[in-house]
Amino acid sequence: MKILRIGPLGITTHQRTFAVGLAIFAVLATLFVFALSWGKADLTVLDSLKAAVGISVGSPGDFIVGQVRAPRAITAVLVGATLGLAGAILQSLTRNPLASPDFIGITAGASTGAVITMWMGIGASLWITAAGAAIGALLTSAAILALSWKRGIVPLRLILAGIGIGFVAQSLTQYLLTRMDVHDAGTALGWLVGSVTGRTWTHVTVAALVLAVLVPVILWHARALRTMEMGDDTAKALGISVGRSRAVLAVASVLLAAAATAITGPIGFIALVAPALALRLTRNAGVTLIPSALMGAVLLLAADQLSQLMPATLQFPVGIFTAAIGAPYLLWLVWRASRGGPS
Amino acid sequence: MSRLETHKAVIGYGGTPIVHGVDVEIPDGKITAIVGPNGCGKSTLLRALIRLLAPIDGAIALDGQDIHSIPTREVARRVGLLPQSPLAPAGITVKELVARGRTPHQKVLRPWSSTDETAVMSALHSTNLTTIQDSVVDELSGGQRQRAWIAMTLAQDTPLMLLDEPTTYLDISHQYEVLELLHRLNERQGRTIVMVVHDLHQAARYAHHVIAMCDGEVAAAGAPEDVFTEELVSRVFDIDARIIPDPVTGTPIIVPAHGPGGAR
Repeated sequence: MKILRIGPLGITTHQRTFAVGLAIFAVLATLFVFALSWGKADLTVLDSLKAAVGISVGSPGDFIVGQVRAPRAITAVLVGATLGLAGAILQSLTRNPLASPDFIGITAGASTGAVITMWMGIGASLWITAAGAAIGALLTSAAILALSWKRGIVPLRLILAGIGIGFVAQSLTQYLLTRMDVHDAGTALGWLVGSVTGRTWTHVTVAALVLAVLVPVILWHARALRTMEMGDDTAKALGISVGRSRAVLAVASVLLAAAATAITGPIGFIALVAPALALRLTRNAGVTLIPSALMGAVLLLAADQLSQLMPATLQFPVGIFTAAIGAPYLLWLVWRASRGGPS
Repeated sequence: MSRLETHKAVIGYGGTPIVHGVDVEIPDGKITAIVGPNGCGKSTLLRALIRLLAPIDGAIALDGQDIHSIPTREVARRVGLLPQSPLAPAGITVKELVARGRTPHQKVLRPWSSTDETAVMSALHSTNLTTIQDSVVDELSGGQRQRAWIAMTLAQDTPLMLLDEPTTYLDISHQYEVLELLHRLNERQGRTIVMVVHDLHQAARYAHHVIAMCDGEVAAAGAPEDVFTEELVSRVFDIDARIIPDPVTGTPIIVPAHGPGGAR
């Protein structure tokens, strides 16, 4: 174990974790520059960077980069990071690699909450959609928790209850779609596909604010999260206020998932895969939050770029691509679990 | 003198008492063994002593103060625990595991100091784990793994250490390895040790003070020679036994009075 000390605050991390984190960040930065400058209207890298930060480079760069590509790419980065964090926390808290918000019904609950705001005709503002998603996600989480609770969270019950509640939430969403006015239903359906297409600076602002509030809270409890992976008794004996930290972290991760869903619609698999990949690359023992967030950002941005590289007739929403990455991983997890290996 | 004691403590789960109003004193600087048949409340008592369980009635006092009025982190600087089946995060190395023992001494913005490093190195040294500090815990033998967990508790640097069945699931040589380690820690570092054990012979050999529990009550407490009488063993464990002195240490050995098939 080589420990690296950074700066006067004495943030410590393993050298390998830090190096891997930097590498993921470098990949992310490269992808981001590519996302800004590549496309039908070819711009130089310098011009697109200038346009992204609001320095005028004239038409059409100002509009294409400043109003289309930049907000879209930044939304992808922020939402990807949000999903990666939400998944990392949830998987660590439940000590279960399958516990990601899109898998255990939290994202479905958030979608239902958001669609309800659209159905009520108050979903015009992104903040209201986000609030609806947060309420939906918190309610579903409470229901999942109540169903899976038996003197503590029983992991298998959590997954089963989550899948069940997820289906209930989805059918409620479907029902609402049939009751909505055609125009609203169209909007809702488009949103339910899950995509970063057409996202604006408003979306970026919401994502950034949510992260700015929640990330410090999460990092404050990061040590508690790592320690709780050793079992509640050990964590309490090591001075962790287990009940309080767990509640704070669980609510934070549900809110992250809800915010991500409100901004892009439900996008699957990122929250499932990003923490697992980060763990494998850093070879960390236990949850690694910042690499998980960076990995989530890389995955979502890469998936969105891939979807844009396709010919126009094949331009699927980004969710399809994340599924293409995530589904094989899920099958591999199930295959490993069925062979009785550590999961 | 006793830093940790219970006063008429009623302890249990979900309001159902398992331990019924016990007064227990943990003597400072000594090894205390808690013995008793399965389900007598040994582990329940131990869990309450480190406030994993709140007493339903009565009180548990650490340094004369109600343990539930002391902040969690402060308790963790005075009392350490080795739980019965702790979970090691997948892939964690021995040194990383031991370093986790420093958790109650760290702050969010100052996570790792040279004091922490020294405590970890000295814990690795006392448990003879220095040479395998970079090994992965999952790949160790049972005895090594148990020593690694004890080292984590040691690095916590608490004057009181509680261990829940530290020798269970180990073969006999590893059992004695762990007991010898605890003996050394008590002798050289003056740590107060409380352990729940099943083997009465080992309890008699290694403990200065024995608390025998039966049906949630303390049946007897005191020096091993005073506690382990034929009458008590019969009352607590429900077997007819003879007590003979250990040929090596002179401490009591409990053997059943009947041979196989009831032969005498």
